[in-house]
Amino acid sequence: MKSNIWISLAVGTGLLLAFPALVSQPLVNAGIQMLIAALFACAFNLLCGQAGMLSFGHAAYFGIGTFATIHTMNAFGGAGLLPTPLMPLGGALIGLLTGGVAGWFATKRTGTYFAMITLALAELLHALAPHLKGVFGGEAGIYAMRMPAWGISFGSSIEVYYLTLAWVFVSLLLLYLFTLTPMGRLSLGLRENSHRLKFLGYDVHRLSVTVFAISAMFAGVAGGLQALHTESANYVLFEGHVSAAVVLNSYIGGVSAFLGPALGAVLMTFFGYAVSDLTRSWLLYQGLLFVLIMMFMPTGLIGVFKWLGTSRKTYGTAQLLPLICLGLSTGMILTAGVVFAVEMLQRVFSLDYRSMSALSPAAGWAPITLFGRDWLPNSIGTWIVPLSLLLVGVALTSQVKRLWRSLVDRVEHHRENSDAAIRRNER
Amino acid sequence: MSKNPQPILTVSAVRKVFGETEIIRGVDLELRDGQRHALIGPNGAGKSTLFHLISGHYAPDEGRIIFDGHEIQGASPEYINRLGLARSFQITNIFPKLSVFENLRIAVMRRHGLQNTLWRFMSSYANVREDTDRLLEQVRLQSRRDAIAGELSYSEQRSMEIAMALASEPKVILLDEPTAGMSHEETDYAIDLIKSATQGRSLLIVEHDMDAVFSLCDRISVLVYGQVIATGTPEEIRNNQKVKEAYLGEEFKV
Repeated sequence: MKSNIWISLAVGTGLLLAFPALVSQPLVNAGIQMLIAALFACAFNLLCGQAGMLSFGHAAYFGIGTFATIHTMNAFGGAGLLPTPLMPLGGALIGLLTGGVAGWFATKRTGTYFAMITLALAELLHALAPHLKGVFGGEAGIYAMRMPAWGISFGSSIEVYYLTLAWVFVSLLLLYLFTLTPMGRLSLGLRENSHRLKFLGYDVHRLSVTVFAISAMFAGVAGGLQALHTESANYVLFEGHVSAAVVLNSYIGGVSAFLGPALGAVLMTFFGYAVSDLTRSWLLYQGLLFVLIMMFMPTGLIGVFKWLGTSRKTYGTAQLLPLICLGLSTGMILTAGVVFAVEMLQRVFSLDYRSMSALSPAAGWAPITLFGRDWLPNSIGTWIVPLSLLLVGVALTSQVKRLWRSLVDRVEHHRENSDAAIRRNER
Repeated sequence: MSKNPQPILTVSAVRKVFGETEIIRGVDLELRDGQRHALIGPNGAGKSTLFHLISGHYAPDEGRIIFDGHEIQGASPEYINRLGLARSFQITNIFPKLSVFENLRIAVMRRHGLQNTLWRFMSSYANVREDTDRLLEQVRLQSRRDAIAGELSYSEQRSMEIAMALASEPKVILLDEPTAGMSHEETDYAIDLIKSATQGRSLLIVEHDMDAVFSLCDRISVLVYGQVIATGTPEEIRNNQKVKEAYLGEEFKV
């Protein structure tokens, strides 16, 4: 098991290092976004997954990190306070400080009230930022330029990619090492039972504030990397959906494992990049994905890997593989049905289509092009496609369930028999 | 040990009101150094509330609580704990998803001053590990070291809680119904454990099992409707007319 983890880490690192050589320019930019999102999610998860404080306003510390880094880059008339590779330190410092102050208030309460305070603080910043022209540049935002440093121009995406990768790598390492320190161990106690911790002599508020500030600091680093990447900062960084995205990413990946949130963030950022060009409904798909994962695999994607590991031992790969293949194809059929229905409906109800129909009412329903074919929205044949896909999917789902149950029964039956045999032999 | 040791914990004229109801109505109580002292009384007498007042969970409305020369009424739980007073709870109060070892280690770490340490790994503290293992041994949970605390049996969890209270090497231990919900064998086992584990410390214990109380404790106080109506040796309490009337009733035979 240990060696498996080391091998996957080595392969993952190798892939990340080779990534720019393997893909096109726009994908390198997406890769930078994925790395930043991964760091942001892990910083968030220090607070949420490890210390049990669900913050709904973590965009505040990310955004503050971005603004602080832009200001660091613009210091001394554009010469910069630090060499370019070290600029995110500005974000880290301001993240730490604001995290300390905001955390002092927020961690006075726990649970829902804590979440509400973090949300309110982020909204406060979002409302305030456009009015503070000097710091946040008003609605237009502020800009900076990456300057060459250490013999590197930092002009190309590839250079920014490697700089981001180095920062993310070091930050994740530090975040991981934190979990091994006395304070890291105590933060688990904070999640499990902060009340008991008080009666063991710990200053729970101080502990919570420190964890909050460290989490905000690394969120600030992620924001700083964003500043280096986009060379700009705008108050929309404080918007609620940024805070929501990091919560969703973390839960989709799985908050119970250290790298779970990173996995969720990488996949969802890539999903957003890949799908947002293809369809306008991609936010709907993102939401659907989240709901389905929370309903059927609440431990997140990491939980699925863990489940695969244990099930392979219990049931054997040979037994499991056909079932998993069938399950995956069922999933794909259901997905196809849902996507078809959603895309058709979206087009029928779109403004373009309706105004076109209004212009020439006599023409009736115009055909809609989807997946390289024309479909008539008013013909039954069109709707039979998603309907039959969904029906087949549902039928297959119950078949998969049945097969799974019989596999479980078989294995348990077998185990009981062998237990009985052992007992007979003992007699 | 002298016959009448000095008091280490003194509760005097403490009152606590919740809304309209006065739960603690002027309690005086003295726990002497090195003694085991039971607090008994019918349900709703205010035993747990009194524990909450002493341990800093609630602040009393009136009165003073003096522990080891410090006035602690209204102080924070962590301050009182650091002075050397540890407690367990009536309802299981643990870190359910952490291992038994981790539960106890968190309890031990405080004594080693490890709250804000960020620059060393936990694994490098051999003394913390040794102390934790010694505690495990003391409450006979070595075999459950790596089990998830929430998955232990009820009586194992109670044993672990006693160990958590012991972890800070406290001068005074407050145990709130440590044997509640246990079978007879488990109760005997737990009382035995408490007896050996609290050797050389002062113990204040809320306990309903009278056999356990009489075998374990040097002194007993009886709390009825927020007032201590009697304090004395088990023998004195057994023969106290007021106690018999007020609390023990007809079915109590000794």
